[in-house]
Amino acid sequence: MTSDSFLALGGLVKHFGATKALDYADLALRAGSVHALVGENGAGKSTLIKTLSGLYQPDAGTIRLDGTEVTIDGPRAAEALGFRFIHQELNLVPHFDAVGNAWIGRRHPRRGPFIDRRAMRAKVADVAARIAPDLPLDKPAARLTPGQRQMAEIVRALMDPARLVVMDEPTSSLSEGEAERLHAIVRQLSAEGCAVLFISHRLDEVLDLCDSYTVLRNGRTVGAGRVADTSRAGLVAMMSGTAGVSPSALRPPQPQHPEEAFAESRLEGRTVDVQQKLPGTDALRPSRRPSGPPQDVAVGALPGQSKGRAEKPVLATDLAFGPGDSRFAFSARPGEIVGLYGLVGSGRSSLLKTIWGATPGRGLIAINGQVPGHGPAGRIAAGCAYVPEDRRREGLANALSIESNLSLAHLPDFRAFSPLPMPSRSKIRNFARATGARLRLVAGGLDHSPATLSGGNQQKLLFGRWLGRPIRILLVDEPTRGVDVGAKAEIHGEMRRIAADGAAILMATSDIEELLALSTRVLVLHAGRLVAELDGPSLTRAAVVAAAFGHAPDEQMPPSERSA
Amino acid sequence: MILLRRYGTLLALALIVLVFTIASPNAFGSMSNLVNITQQMALLAIVAIGATLVMVLGEFDLSVSAVVSWAGIAAAALFAAGIAVPVVMIVVLASAVAMGAISGFLVARYKVPSFIATLAFGTVIGGLTFWVSNGATMFSGIPAGFRDLGRGTLAGVPVPTLWLIGVAVIFWLLLDQTEFGRRLYAIGGNREAARLVGLPVRRDMVVAFALCAALAGLAGLLLTARLGSAHPTGGGGYLLQAYAAVFLGMTAFREGEPSIPGTLVGAAIIAVVSNGLTILGVPSFLQDLLTGAIILAAVLVRNFGRDSD
Repeated sequence: MTSDSFLALGGLVKHFGATKALDYADLALRAGSVHALVGENGAGKSTLIKTLSGLYQPDAGTIRLDGTEVTIDGPRAAEALGFRFIHQELNLVPHFDAVGNAWIGRRHPRRGPFIDRRAMRAKVADVAARIAPDLPLDKPAARLTPGQRQMAEIVRALMDPARLVVMDEPTSSLSEGEAERLHAIVRQLSAEGCAVLFISHRLDEVLDLCDSYTVLRNGRTVGAGRVADTSRAGLVAMMSGTAGVSPSALRPPQPQHPEEAFAESRLEGRTVDVQQKLPGTDALRPSRRPSGPPQDVAVGALPGQSKGRAEKPVLATDLAFGPGDSRFAFSARPGEIVGLYGLVGSGRSSLLKTIWGATPGRGLIAINGQVPGHGPAGRIAAGCAYVPEDRRREGLANALSIESNLSLAHLPDFRAFSPLPMPSRSKIRNFARATGARLRLVAGGLDHSPATLSGGNQQKLLFGRWLGRPIRILLVDEPTRGVDVGAKAEIHGEMRRIAADGAAILMATSDIEELLALSTRVLVLHAGRLVAELDGPSLTRAAVVAAAFGHAPDEQMPPSERSA
Repeated sequence: MILLRRYGTLLALALIVLVFTIASPNAFGSMSNLVNITQQMALLAIVAIGATLVMVLGEFDLSVSAVVSWAGIAAAALFAAGIAVPVVMIVVLASAVAMGAISGFLVARYKVPSFIATLAFGTVIGGLTFWVSNGATMFSGIPAGFRDLGRGTLAGVPVPTLWLIGVAVIFWLLLDQTEFGRRLYAIGGNREAARLVGLPVRRDMVVAFALCAALAGLAGLLLTARLGSAHPTGGGGYLLQAYAAVFLGMTAFREGEPSIPGTLVGAAIIAVVSNGLTILGVPSFLQDLLTGAIILAAVLVRNFGRDSD
């Protein structure tokens, strides 16, 4: 495999203090191949890429390009070798358009003493025409869709000839359609002879798009080969280190004390994850439904019209939402997980925020038949909970400790003496410990900043902050974005538990596997409109995707829309 | 190095006290002078404690010195009109609270950057102060009973020091031990997250700005009581020094967050340096130079520590 590779990393080691981020990692890339780099969060993928981009210097190991050993002592050196990086967080200047962004850091063409904007645009248009002809070149990056921003990044990366493009979870914030578009670009790059190193948590995508793969676990390369020779289960087994071992044999001992759960190191924490992983991935089959209350909503039923049901809806909405006079009317019963699907920009997040009371909206919301109080505080008082889409921007305060973050949503519950608004630290700590144990939170300490946690554990915090009190309705926006397989399975398990305890869950996700695995019923939004409600036999991947792209067959339209 | 980073500012305070004590054991190191320093830092520390509340939110209130001046002039004007002491104090403090609430409302409701909102509103307050005072120092009719609130001693402790102790304890409790305090830190940490978990972000911000202005108003009253007069720019010196104290304080304890104990350490450093250098007969421009250098050094030491993480 290494014989025809143009780039070979061998035996890379990188320490950060006592932690070994890379522990003899190998990677070999063939020219023009699409190569997947997979592994759980914290497996060393980011460190490997940063080594390749010259941000980190390896403590040991070699990097060979075309058979000669090279040293990459900085981003400029990586650039000169023809390596390009599309980072997970995009790095565009928001008020520059694609042209301006593409030229950042380059010598601008000039006419006399002034910048030659026409020449700039011509050059960018040239590159864009090859890989992304539909990218608007004159819109500021802030007004582009996430998918378009990604394209602008790729255009910028390809302004000079590239030999390798590294993409770090490029599709994690893209909708299905935008991801397809990106895949086409990746294939195009590959056809032009440029290798692509593709990092993704979406294994279906890896299997579909990539030619070859490398699996990292705990900083070490534990598997590599041709994608055609492996399978989803094989990749998962390699990532989690369970190859050849039955999952039940790996069931970890239950910690006797919650403190022990936190005392465990990160590495041990990762093996703890394993136990729930395999059932979780098995469940990613649409045919297997989580056990729950029977499907009880007829296709196209209006909220409140389904007569003779055992349980009343806990949440009913009739909102003016979307373009024109369109409405969003639906209801959910205890124990249901209602999936909300739609392309990016279809209005999922703003719909959840409206129901949560964080953005003003018109219409009716009833929780247990009652209109809740104003704003999020009113929703919380009515038993509602919310997990935001963007954990860093909307979820966590990194300047505060983990336990402070957990206690924020219902501080009055932790009073030492209930008439006085003075929280008791020991009560907060006990809650944080119990929540941490329930969610298998892997943290250095409860008084640390949430910034020290992995993405999966940060995400668990967002769920954990609501666990102190009964949840009637849980609104979740992207439950597991950018989260590793193990934490994903655990979060899914927690959501099922919350539903089984009698909550109705409304879950927006752009991960269609997650949607199909968890939802008892799916609502599809297209351009702000509720276009389909799918459940039972009508709930298939094909139907969801078709509806999301606006091709919903007429009989799936809710009556309210049909008459409009 | 970790020790230096964690407690460097406290060590610096101890070191500065030690150096001055050695340099001038009789004048600086005497008990009466050390007590005197607590009196000298009292007004600055009270203003700085107010500024701390707003800094916890991640905002600035640049109108504090204008409010200090306003409170002094407003009190003097009301005394000149023959109004009783308790009424004057309540009216003046209420006016300061209203001013802070307006700033807070502009920031919280209309998302005006606090830097600009309080700079502009502080200028308005300054204009109001000049209008009321006609730009002149006011000193007629200030009752002796009022003056005793800012001078003299009670049980051997200077009265301004007692005010400082009271304010520091109350605001330490408020910021560290109550839900309100926790909410302020949460809002400062991530305002959007705080809003989405249902915290009353706007209300808390308005209250924090109002409390900050109330403390500036209190400092203005005490200043007038101590001096027996009020000058329309009497509070001018407090703005930069108060924020210097808060920033020094942020370097004094872990996490680098503003806190009341930290601010007290910061105010103490500023007061000790000023007092010690005056006793040693160092010209005042050198005092400013040194104070500035100490602040820079404190911040640099902390940031060096961060880089090595």
